[in-house]
Amino acid sequence: MEDGKIKGKAMVLSGFDQEESAREALEQALKEAGLAREAIGIIVTTGNGRKAISFAKGDVTEARAAALGAVFLYPTARTVIDVGAEESRAIKCDATGKVLDFAVNEKCAAGSGAFTEAMARALEVPLEELGPLSLRATQTIPMNAQCAVFAESEVISLIHSKTEKADIARAVHDGLSSRVVAMVRRVGLNTELVLIGGVAHNPGFVESFKRTVGLDDVRTAAEPDFVGAIGAALAAAE
Amino acid sequence: MIEQFKEWYINRHAYAKQWKERTGGKVIGTFCTYVPEEILVAANMLPARILGSHEPQDVTEPHIFGMFCPFCRDSLAQGLKGRFNYLDGVVLAHSCIHFRQTFNSWRIHLPVEFAYYIPMPNTAQTPHAPAYHRAEVDKFKKAIEEYAGRPIAEQDLDRGIEILNRNRRLLRKAYEHRKLDNPPLTGEEAMYMAVTSQFIDKEEHSNLLEAVLKELPQRKLPRDAGIRLMAVGSENDDAEFFKMVENVGGTVVIDEQCAGSRYFWNESVPNGDRLAAIANRYLDRPACPVKDYPAHSRFQHVLNLAKDYRAQGAIIMQEKFCDPHEGDNPRLKKYLEENGIPTLSLEFDSTNPLGPFRIRVEAFLETIRGEELF
Repeated sequence: MEDGKIKGKAMVLSGFDQEESAREALEQALKEAGLAREAIGIIVTTGNGRKAISFAKGDVTEARAAALGAVFLYPTARTVIDVGAEESRAIKCDATGKVLDFAVNEKCAAGSGAFTEAMARALEVPLEELGPLSLRATQTIPMNAQCAVFAESEVISLIHSKTEKADIARAVHDGLSSRVVAMVRRVGLNTELVLIGGVAHNPGFVESFKRTVGLDDVRTAAEPDFVGAIGAALAAAE
Repeated sequence: MIEQFKEWYINRHAYAKQWKERTGGKVIGTFCTYVPEEILVAANMLPARILGSHEPQDVTEPHIFGMFCPFCRDSLAQGLKGRFNYLDGVVLAHSCIHFRQTFNSWRIHLPVEFAYYIPMPNTAQTPHAPAYHRAEVDKFKKAIEEYAGRPIAEQDLDRGIEILNRNRRLLRKAYEHRKLDNPPLTGEEAMYMAVTSQFIDKEEHSNLLEAVLKELPQRKLPRDAGIRLMAVGSENDDAEFFKMVENVGGTVVIDEQCAGSRYFWNESVPNGDRLAAIANRYLDRPACPVKDYPAHSRFQHVLNLAKDYRAQGAIIMQEKFCDPHEGDNPRLKKYLEENGIPTLSLEFDSTNPLGPFRIRVEAFLETIRGEELF
C-alpha cells in the first residue's frame, strides 16, 4: 500500500515453511505492483504465522488487522465478522478501527470454514459449489448436531434418508451461521456489520447469515480474504 | 382423545394466551419443578413451566456461560424470542445454579410484574429442612397474596392441594397402564400427557385424563411393545428421540425424569398444617439429584420403577453439562447394571443427532434381545 492505495496483492497456500510462503506472496505482490523489493518501506505481518516471518518489521493481531482493514474499506463498519477456515471472530471497533471487544469461536470447528469444507466432501460437491447449491434449497432442516464431527454423521444420515442435497447444504450453512451469530451477540449485534474472511465468498453462508441475523442486507467485503492484509499494511503506515 | 395432549404440547403458548383471555387470570412461569404450585392454584393463577423448544438458537450467548446446560439456555431463548410474552410473573424454587442463572437473566431482560425466588434448601434430607421450607412456602404465599391483592384462605389452600393431588393421582393411574404386556400408549404419548400437566390448567388436564382413562382399557397400539425401556435422566421432553426409539423396536414404559414421573409422583399429605403439607410434598418427592444428598435416595426409586414396570433396559439421558446428573450417572449406571438392568448412556443437547443415536439404540436393543435368545 502507498498513500492509502493498494499497489499489489497476492495469495499463496501456506505450506510447512511459512517464511517461504510469505516470501513467495511478497514476490507476487511486488510483480503485480511493478515494484522492487527496496521500494517497500515497512513490512508488517498478521495471521497465525505472523511471528514466524523474519523479514517483517512488526506484526499485528488478526483482530486489529481485521478491524483496521474493514473500517478502511467501509468507514461505518463497527462490527467486523471474520469467518476463516479455522477460526471465526467477531470484532467490535470504533471509527478509527480500534478494537473495543472481540469474541472468537473457541470450542468447536462447526463455527468455521473447515466445517463447510468437510461437509462439501460428505456431499461430494466442490467447495465453491456448496453455496450456490444451498441457494436452491426448498426447505429448512435444522442441523441438530452441535459439533462438526457429529454434524458430519448427521449429514450422512440425511443423505441416507434421501434428503435433497440442496436442503442439506442449506442446513450446513444454517448450522454455521447460527454459531457465528451466537458469537457475534457476545460482542453485541448492530446493523453496521461487515463480513470478511474467506467464507464470505460463499453465497450460501451469506444468505443464511442474513436470515439468521434478521437483516435484509449485510455488507460483504469485495475481496474478503485480503481485509486482514490491508489492515496490516495500515498498521505499518502508522 | 389422547392426541389432545400432543396438541397442547405443540400449542402451549396459544393455550396460555387463550386461558388468560378466558379467565382474566394471571399466568406465572415456573422454573424447574420445585415451585409449590398449590399456592398459585389456590390464588387462581395458572402455573406454566418454562421449557425449551428443541430448536437451534443463537440469542443466549451474551447471557449464559457456554458450559451451562443446553436446557437452561434453550429455556431462556424462548423468553428472549418473545414466546412467553404473556407471562405476568416468574417463580423459581431453587434447584441448580444453571437454572438460577436463567431465572436471573430472565428477571433482568424480560421484566414481569411478579418475580419471586424461593430459596428452597438443596439439603432436603436434613431434619431442619421441613421447618425452614415451611417458612419459605409461607413467605411465598404472602407474596402471592400481596400480588393478587387478596388473601389466600385455608379453603383456597385445600382446593389448591386437592387440584394438584387429583392430577397427580390420575397421572399415576394412567402410568399404571404402562405396566401391561402391551401398553396401550407409547412412551412418546405418555411424555406429552405428563409434561402438559406442567403448563395446562390442572383441572382441565385432569378432566381429559379421566376421559382418557376410560378409553385406555380398550386402546391397542398397532404394534408389539418390543423391548421395554425406561428413560432416566434430567429434564427431557425430546419427542423426536422417543419417537425414534419407538420406531426401532422399543417402547418406553416408564420414566424417571422431571418432564415426567418425578414431577407428579407423590401427593401432598394433608396434616392439618396445610403449608407444612405443601412444603413436605416437595421435600419428599422423588428427588432431582441436586436435592438428593448425602443419601442417594433416588437410586432405589429408579430401580423400583424399573422393576414395577418390567423395564428390560434403561436409557440414561444425560443433559450435557447438567452437573447434578453427571454426578449421579456413573454410580446409577453401575447400580442398575448390578441389579440386572442394562443401560445405554446418551448425552443430550437441546437438539440431537438422531442418526448416530438411532444406531446406538438399535445396537442396545439388539444386545438385550441377544440375552433373550440364549
